[in-house]
Amino acid sequence: MIVTTLKPLDEILESISPYRKILIAGCDGCTQPPRGIREAKTLKQLLELAGKLKGKEFEFKVTSVVKQCDSVLTTSAIKPYVDDVEAVLSLACGAGPQTVAEFFPDLPVIPAQNSHFIGIDNRQEDKMFDSCSACGDCILALTGGICPVTRCSKGLLNGACGGASNGKCELDPERDCAWELIYERLKRLGRLDLIKKFTPAKDYSAKGWRVTP
Amino acid sequence: MSQTVAETKVAVNINDDHCSRCTICSSLCPYDAITQDRDNHRMVLDIEKCQVCGICYSACPAKAIDTIYYSCGSVLKYLEKVKPQYKSDTLVIMCKGSAPDFGEVSKLFGVKDFIPLAVPCVGRISEEVLLGVMVAGIKKIDILACDEDYCRFHRGSPLTGRRVIALNRMLEQLGYGEEAITLKRNSLKVTVDKDLCIACGTCVAYCPYHAPTLTSEGGISFDLDACRGCGLCVALCPAFALDMENWERARISDLIPKLLNEMKPPKILVFRCQWADYPPLNGDMSPNIGTIDMPCAGRVEAVHVLEALQNGADGVMVVACSEDDCKQEGVSAKSEHVVAGIKEKLAQIGLGDKINFSAVSPRYPGQVEAKVREFRQSLEGAGKGAEKGETK
Repeated sequence: MIVTTLKPLDEILESISPYRKILIAGCDGCTQPPRGIREAKTLKQLLELAGKLKGKEFEFKVTSVVKQCDSVLTTSAIKPYVDDVEAVLSLACGAGPQTVAEFFPDLPVIPAQNSHFIGIDNRQEDKMFDSCSACGDCILALTGGICPVTRCSKGLLNGACGGASNGKCELDPERDCAWELIYERLKRLGRLDLIKKFTPAKDYSAKGWRVTP
Repeated sequence: MSQTVAETKVAVNINDDHCSRCTICSSLCPYDAITQDRDNHRMVLDIEKCQVCGICYSACPAKAIDTIYYSCGSVLKYLEKVKPQYKSDTLVIMCKGSAPDFGEVSKLFGVKDFIPLAVPCVGRISEEVLLGVMVAGIKKIDILACDEDYCRFHRGSPLTGRRVIALNRMLEQLGYGEEAITLKRNSLKVTVDKDLCIACGTCVAYCPYHAPTLTSEGGISFDLDACRGCGLCVALCPAFALDMENWERARISDLIPKLLNEMKPPKILVFRCQWADYPPLNGDMSPNIGTIDMPCAGRVEAVHVLEALQNGADGVMVVACSEDDCKQEGVSAKSEHVVAGIKEKLAQIGLGDKINFSAVSPRYPGQVEAKVREFRQSLEGAGKGAEKGETK
C-alpha cells in the first residue's frame, strides 16, 4: 500500500486560508484505511471547528474518488463541483493532487497528506516500512521476495556487503540487513543457488517517468 | 486497582445470614465469581470476577443476594410511578443489548401501547418481579431477550427462557391464559450498503469475530451469526457503507443536537457503553450531562464526537468498560485507541482537552459520576483561560 499521514492541521489551515469554498476530495485507493468519504467528512468537521476558533468561516463540500490518480475517475468526480469551489483539498497520496492539477488547470489544489512510501503494513507488530522503490525492473524472483534495492541501505544488488552485525545494518542499527534476510529466506526455500547468481547493474532507464501501456 | 477498591461500595453482595448454601448462584454464575468455601461452606463472591449481570440475584431462592441495580423493589416502585404515564397494561421488558427502537418493539410483539422497561440483561429479572408486576395490575408481559448465543452474559437469555416456560405453566393454572408472558429473542447487528462498499477490507482487519470477508466479486459479505454487534466496523468503515441496527449513524446524529439543546452549560455529552454503567431507573439527570447509550464503546466514531463539539458541547466523554470487563473481545481497548486518535487531532486545533475517555465498571457504583465530575472540573479550569476565544 501507499503509506501517507495527515499533515499537521495548522499547515492545512494555512494552505487553505486564501479560500472559502473548498472541496475536500477523499481517495478510496491504496492507503489502509483508505482516506475516503469518512476521512473527508472528519477533516471537514475538524477544519470547521478550527476555523470557528479563528473567526474564519469555510464552506466545505466533500466527495471521494475511487482512485484519485486516475484521470477519468477524478475528472468525473470533481467536475460537478468545479463551479462552486475555489480550491480542492486532496486526501490522496501525491499523485492525487497532481491529477487534479493536470486536469483542472484553473483550480488550486492542496495536499492534506504527506506521502511516505510504498510499503508493507505489518499489523500484527504494528509497523509499516518502505518495501518498493518502483524501480521498473523487479528482481524479487532472485531475492526471495525481499527487495534489496529498497531495504538494503546501500541498495546493493549483490550482497551482503559484510558490514552487518547481529543482522542489523552498519549504517542504521534499527534496520534489518536486507541481504541477511534474503539469505535466510532463500536457505529456507532451498534456493541458495540464487544468491550465487550475479545481478548486473540495473537498467534504471526502466524506472522512467512515463509508461505507455 | 484492588487497593482502592477494598474501601469502595460494590454492586453485589451475599448476605451470609440468609444464605442456605444451596449453591444455585455459583452454578449459574457465568464468570465463576461465586464459589463455596471448602471449610465453612459459605458462598464467597469474588467481586473482581463479577460482571454484575444479576443472574445470581434473580435466582437466589433465599434472597440472600443484594444488588444495587434494578432490584425487585426498585423495578416495582418504578413501574408504579410510571404506569399512569402510559395508557397500557402491557409491560415490555427488554434487554438493552437486543432492543430496537420502540416502534420496532411494537411490531415485534404486535402491541400498540406498552410500558417499556429496558434493563442490562433480562436474566436479572426474577420470578418475583414478574409475578409482582402481574399482582400490581399488569395484564400482559412481553419479554425481549437476546438470541441465546448473543447474550452478553451467556446464561441470561437461556435462563429467562426456562423461567418464562415455568411461570407460564403456573399462571395458566391460575387462569391467566396460555401465554401470559411472551418471550421473543432478537439481536442487533451490522447492516451493509453494498453500493457504498469500496472493498477496502478495513472491517475484515478490525472485526474481533471474523464476521466479514471480502468476496471474489469485489464486495463484502458478513456472517451475521458471527457478528456480535459491537459496531467497531461501523465506526471505522472509511466509506460509510456499514451501519448498525438501532445505532444508525443518522439516528445518533439527530440525537446529538436534540440533547445538547436541552442541556445547560457546561454541556458534557457522554457516549456510554451500555455495559459499562447501569443508570438508575429514575435518577435525576443533571442538566449539564447528556448521555447516549452505545452498544459498545467501539461504536463511537469521530464524526459524532465532532458533531457534538460543533453543536455546542463543552466536552465529550466516551465511557467504556475497563479492559477486563469488555464484553466484546477487547473492543474497549480499540475504542480507547480510536478516541486517542481523535484527541490527538483535536489537540492540534487547541481542543484536545475537550474529549475524555474513561474506562469504568458497574461493579463499583459511582465511578462514572466521579469521572464526569473530574472531567467537568478540568473543563471549567481550562475554560476560564480560554473563555474569550470560545464565546464568540
